[in-house]
Amino acid sequence: MINKIITDATKAIASAMDLKALDDSRVQYLGKKGELTDLLKGLGKLSKEERPAMGEAINEAKVQIQKLIEARKEELEDIELNQRLLDEKVDVTLPGRNSERGTLHPITQTLRHIEDIFTKAGFEIEIGPEIEDDFHNFSALNIPEHHPARAMHDTFYFDSNTVLRTHTSPVQIRTLEMQKPPVRVIVPGKVYRCDSDVTHTPMFHQVEGLIVDKEASFSQLKGLLIDFLRSYFEKDDLKVRFRPSYFPFTEPSAEADIECVICSGDGCRVCKKSGWLEVLGCGVVHPNVLNAVNIDSDDYSGLAFGMGVERLAMLRYSVNDLRLFFENDVRFLNQF
Amino acid sequence: MNISTSWLREWISPDVSDIELSEKLTMAGLEVDRIAPVAPPFEGLVVGHVVNCGKHPNADKLSLCEVDIGSGSNLEIICGAPNVRKDLKVAVATVGSVLPNKMKIKRTKLRGVESNGMLCSESEIGISDSHEGIIELDSKAKIGDNVRNVLNLDDQIIELDITPNRGDCFSVLGVAREVCVNYDLTLPALNYKAKQKGSKSFKSSVSNPNECPRYLTRVIEGVDNRASTPEWMAQKLLYASQQLHSPIVDITNYVLLELGQPMHAFDLSKINGSINVRSAKKNEELELLNGQNVKLSEETLVIADEKSAIAMAGVIGGMGTSTLENSTDILLESAFFEPVEISGIARSYGLHTESSLRFERGVDFNVTHQAMERATELVLEICGGRASKINETLDSKSLPKLEPIDISIEKISKILGFNLDPAWVESKFKFLEFDFKVNKDNSWTITPPSFRFDIRIPADIIEELARLYGYDKIPVTRLSNDANISNVSQTKISSNDLSSALVNRGYQEVITYSFISNEMHDLVDPKAKKILLQNPISDDMSVMRSSLWPGLIQSAQSNIRRGHQNSRFFEEGLCFSGTEVEDQVQKIGGLISGNRYDSQWGGSDQEVDFFDVKSDVEALLSQSNKDYSFEVAEHPALQMGQTAKIMKGEKKIGWVGALSPKLQKNLSMPNSFLFELTQSEIEQGETPSYESFSSFQASQRDIAVVVSKELSSDELIHSIKSLKQNDLIDVNLFDVYEGEHIEEGKKSMALNLTYQSIESTLTDERIAEKVSKIVGHLKTKFSAKLR
Repeated sequence: MINKIITDATKAIASAMDLKALDDSRVQYLGKKGELTDLLKGLGKLSKEERPAMGEAINEAKVQIQKLIEARKEELEDIELNQRLLDEKVDVTLPGRNSERGTLHPITQTLRHIEDIFTKAGFEIEIGPEIEDDFHNFSALNIPEHHPARAMHDTFYFDSNTVLRTHTSPVQIRTLEMQKPPVRVIVPGKVYRCDSDVTHTPMFHQVEGLIVDKEASFSQLKGLLIDFLRSYFEKDDLKVRFRPSYFPFTEPSAEADIECVICSGDGCRVCKKSGWLEVLGCGVVHPNVLNAVNIDSDDYSGLAFGMGVERLAMLRYSVNDLRLFFENDVRFLNQF
Repeated sequence: MNISTSWLREWISPDVSDIELSEKLTMAGLEVDRIAPVAPPFEGLVVGHVVNCGKHPNADKLSLCEVDIGSGSNLEIICGAPNVRKDLKVAVATVGSVLPNKMKIKRTKLRGVESNGMLCSESEIGISDSHEGIIELDSKAKIGDNVRNVLNLDDQIIELDITPNRGDCFSVLGVAREVCVNYDLTLPALNYKAKQKGSKSFKSSVSNPNECPRYLTRVIEGVDNRASTPEWMAQKLLYASQQLHSPIVDITNYVLLELGQPMHAFDLSKINGSINVRSAKKNEELELLNGQNVKLSEETLVIADEKSAIAMAGVIGGMGTSTLENSTDILLESAFFEPVEISGIARSYGLHTESSLRFERGVDFNVTHQAMERATELVLEICGGRASKINETLDSKSLPKLEPIDISIEKISKILGFNLDPAWVESKFKFLEFDFKVNKDNSWTITPPSFRFDIRIPADIIEELARLYGYDKIPVTRLSNDANISNVSQTKISSNDLSSALVNRGYQEVITYSFISNEMHDLVDPKAKKILLQNPISDDMSVMRSSLWPGLIQSAQSNIRRGHQNSRFFEEGLCFSGTEVEDQVQKIGGLISGNRYDSQWGGSDQEVDFFDVKSDVEALLSQSNKDYSFEVAEHPALQMGQTAKIMKGEKKIGWVGALSPKLQKNLSMPNSFLFELTQSEIEQGETPSYESFSSFQASQRDIAVVVSKELSSDELIHSIKSLKQNDLIDVNLFDVYEGEHIEEGKKSMALNLTYQSIESTLTDERIAEKVSKIVGHLKTKFSAKLR
């Protein structure tokens, strides 16, 4: 009898295909009304002599069946888990949800890069107004009314005394009106010229730099700008040359050229076959500028430099059309 | 300025190649933009002689020429130029040659007749834009010679970019001086002296000596202006980009290029009486050489005869007194005009001539006589005639002053950052033609020559020395590093922080022009003051923006036109309410439209709404953690009912809302949502200060109240908070409902109240008491009913 139950139970357990069927088998054999329980209940009807052996046999059978159930349960749980894993499988190559990130404008990125380099060298960042008066934009910078440089600036006017700043240099004056030397600042910002064609936009960006100190010299200016350009272009051996030039507010004045980053100095369309690219203007601050803000030019000297941000961005990102920066086409913006 | 190296080398010729010479000039501050031969390289162009010239049998406008190029047999060549004629010496491109424009010359049939080459114009061989006719070579040119040699086409042209301070370099003489200084050479002094055979006197006077300190005239009688300008002069003028006129005008242009002195020639017979240099009279008019008739203003300096103005001083001559082919008696003028005066005239009439350019930058006031002598020599040589003596009006005290300048080696070394050898410095002073004396303290006192009017202060001299030493040779040093710690604020919200927040929320930064169109201003911000540019590039860029929205809208518009429907743009920049410094305010603004996200798998597209843009605004505001609020408001660009002003306390700091349907229609925009904030108002955070929190249990209570539909959630919450109830630590609105079971015109707002005491666990009774106080308050204030 017991053996039959064990045989039946073994079969039933083995053929249980899910946990539910397995549990049914458990109830059928081990449950309160199960077959083994029934046998246990029937023990009372047996003789005293028969009872212990029978009881033991039933208990053994119970243990045996329980073990079988446990084993089968583990098997079935494994199967079920495997099935679940299969069911829950996803295409992990599908894009993440709502993963869109925007972009900073390449000009802003370039400005940040330049600002980072100079702030690490102890420069403060100053800004100034874009609508300027004649004094700050011209006169104080040693550009008197009839100076030829004025005509070259293509100035936007509001009235005879009020202009859109043509360069960031007026902030040199504003800074020196507020701060006593030593001064070490850079001035990022928008500037405006009344000119619009393939290579000119009426608005563009500059970064101006100013150092005023007791012992500021042209050779330090060279060192600073060579280091800056090498850092900006991330090229330790970038060739830089300085050429004499003219700005009303510096003297001596220089323009700095770098070896063409497109052709490495071999000569190409971008550098007009010269192998050199003009990237910034600089010089020793003209004494008239220091005098305009009541700084004694015998005690102090100043160094100033200015660079076109679009130009630096174009060279770094290989952008070949200036106007792209202001068209704000997402196909352009997305690339930065 | 363009200058040919062969002309330069006639003056001074250092033993270096043209390329080396041009590099030297660049590195000395006379930037060479370009150096190239007169004509691009090509071969096969020879001198030909038109032996016969007849009509093409089948074409009216073509000529059939027989041309001798010295090859034994004459060539038949068809030519379309109007100036082709018998006996002309021409430039013949032979069969097989390739012109600079890549045209290959082949034997071809034109209207049935074979042509064996081409007669070339200047433009065809790349020496000018002129294609009015074929080149007419000198009649003495040898048949069969290479035209490259005949026309000196291998002469290198240097294109100089002359800086405003170096007006002295606008001439061959000036550039030659610069070459001398750079190669330690010396130029012989000018010594022109024309033969004087005439005796005609001419009276001239100057009423404004400040503006015209020196005025020279000279009569030359009996000239032949029909003579032709000699080839050597024509070539030089041509290669300096000067057009040819008559010999007299060509000579004045030649002297201008050679010595930098602008000159003018009047036809003496057309001058009424004597000449006076004066200011123009009221309503005076003058017909200029360029054909323009101008009404002169009274500030304009003119050359006048006894009747009227005959030239605009230093800028351009008048038509009435100009020399013509038949002029025989001429009056030459050579003068020094004050630079500011001439630049004023040139600017006010928009007349920028070779003459005004030089006077503006400053002409050597001591070259006036030499230029007159040189021009006279050339006139006598080319056109003949009898020159009378020079008539000079001079006010020497009005001439520019050459002030002595003191400078020491210490000053020079301090500015340049290294030590120069005083002996080297003095040798350079000599080549610069600086007059100098050594003072007791070893400093120098220097007087510059009259052609270097740009040298006025010590810095000018330091620059001269630096550039002659060579900028590249100046040693490189570093700034001293004082390791000063600068102020770094932890609570300052930088523009970087704000833009990063937006970029992380999917925004793309745009940069748009600060000037916008009138229409855009009127549509978007009609109440703002209009700041107009006097000289805009175009009407589309004539008003300074008062808001970032016009630029953002235009960016969205153009991208939508290109098929990018989902916009999420922001911009940072100044907006303008006036022209004073305080009227220029940095703002940050944004625009969103289209779908919340690009179409994705596993979700349907959702259009953005007010609360998307509002959450972006909140993301910006949350960085500074101030008490900001949103108030119902109206804005001309925004849709009523979906517009809020953003407040910081009692101060408006920005706007957020939906683009109004009217503007959507006008601007062909889809549903869009905009915001704008004044940056200075959101960039100051607070240093956190720790407050201990309660260890007792917090209790939540939910209430729902029915209130008027018009009541804003902000008002409701603000009113609860204003009770300042102890232990009420948070109020949170979690549901808004209108519709079924709610009276018309009302809505239900469900609030979650959190209570927590720092001292004990609050009892249910205590909390119930507090909640009922709030309900009571809302009932009195808003007639709110508990739901």
